[in-house]
Amino acid sequence: MTARLRVPLVLLLVLMVQKSVLEDIHVHDVRPDALLLLAVCAGLVGGAEVGAVVGFAAGLLADMFVLAPLGLSAMVFALVGFAVGALQAGLLRAAWWIPPATALVACSMGVLLYGVLGAVVGQTQFVRPQLLTTAILVALMDAALAIPLVRVTGWALGPREKRVYPR
Amino acid sequence: MAVQRRAVRPRFVLLLLVLTAITLLTLDERGTGSHVIDRVRGDARDAFAPVRDATDSVLQPVGNFFEGVIHYGDLKAENARLREQNQSLRGQASQAQDAIRERQALLDQLDLTYVGDIPKVRSRIVSTAASNFELSVEIDRGTSNGVAKGMPVVSGAGLVGRVVEVSHHRATVLLLTDPTFSVGVRLSSSQDVGVANGEGSRSPMDVDLISRDTKVSKDEVVVTSGLQQSVFPPGIPVGKVVDAHTPPGALQQNVTIDPVVDLQRLEFVTVLQWSPKS
Repeated sequence: MTARLRVPLVLLLVLMVQKSVLEDIHVHDVRPDALLLLAVCAGLVGGAEVGAVVGFAAGLLADMFVLAPLGLSAMVFALVGFAVGALQAGLLRAAWWIPPATALVACSMGVLLYGVLGAVVGQTQFVRPQLLTTAILVALMDAALAIPLVRVTGWALGPREKRVYPR
Repeated sequence: MAVQRRAVRPRFVLLLLVLTAITLLTLDERGTGSHVIDRVRGDARDAFAPVRDATDSVLQPVGNFFEGVIHYGDLKAENARLREQNQSLRGQASQAQDAIRERQALLDQLDLTYVGDIPKVRSRIVSTAASNFELSVEIDRGTSNGVAKGMPVVSGAGLVGRVVEVSHHRATVLLLTDPTFSVGVRLSSSQDVGVANGEGSRSPMDVDLISRDTKVSKDEVVVTSGLQQSVFPPGIPVGKVVDAHTPPGALQQNVTIDPVVDLQRLEFVTVLQWSPKS
């Protein structure tokens, strides 16, 4: 199976897990965001370009099921995937803690960016006192899911000589 | 040269993706292509509905397990409380049959009496909010069952929310606690009208426009006002007054209400096939 088939398959699989399992897991009404995490993992495994493209696709899928304007998640996830990929280029060696640590930082930034950009496009209720708490809780839950998802993303994107992750 | 091209390409791809996202956002916000976007979203939800139903049955136990792990402390406390409750209930077992029959008769009498003869569509909640930024639920009824955008959604206790997105077989209900939700309300004792606004899932709703001279008592029931152009029919219970006070110099009272419906434990809801009279 080529990467062109495996990537959409993983996207659908992550969407299914998000809608079936992760939506029922919540801490203070905050749920993990596996599609945002997938963008982070794609950036970590495949670099900036792959991170941006997979992030855009994951965001577009997420946009199908929310009330926020179409394209908001797509833009945020693409930016997060790109940023992680650009920073990943500077990594010299792999360590087991790098994916969860990256997920922790990138997912919290992603949630904050989603809130701020949402307010810019008219969803002013997104910027609220609980935004920081939401960002931290999503980041913590996503960090816990980062190690398995980075492996799945590595399988989806296929082998590449210079790839640091997954090991 | 080739190295420079490789370095520029990811930025060019990102720029293209961001521009595409901005185009989609503009189309959706301006309403130019909103019917196309609504249709695409509706089709996506319909297409995903059977997949979700199938995966639910397989993956739900996994979700329940993790939910149990996360809420272990709550479950332990609830378990102790239930054991205690069970003990007392055993003592009442002999009277239970009669009580159940009486309760059922009462429930039949009370079954959405505030709704009157408005046609109803009963539905089951199949999913909670897909985003951490909205308070909504997805129900298993859509346009094929007569559900339309804007219809009020209620439960046995009172107002739940309104339909904001609808496809053939699914609909999304915005819960009344969502920060974008507003409803015209009337105080049951004084008949004064105001506007109740959602403030988030764990916060009471604020009621605006209640005059400082109005007498508001704690636990007073607040119902939908149903004034002209209101998107809800009159008389649906919305909440109970938690607090009412007038800050110094203010022209209106700060009234807060708790929704009468327990939104955390909803399983079935009723869509009212009602639209405001023009």
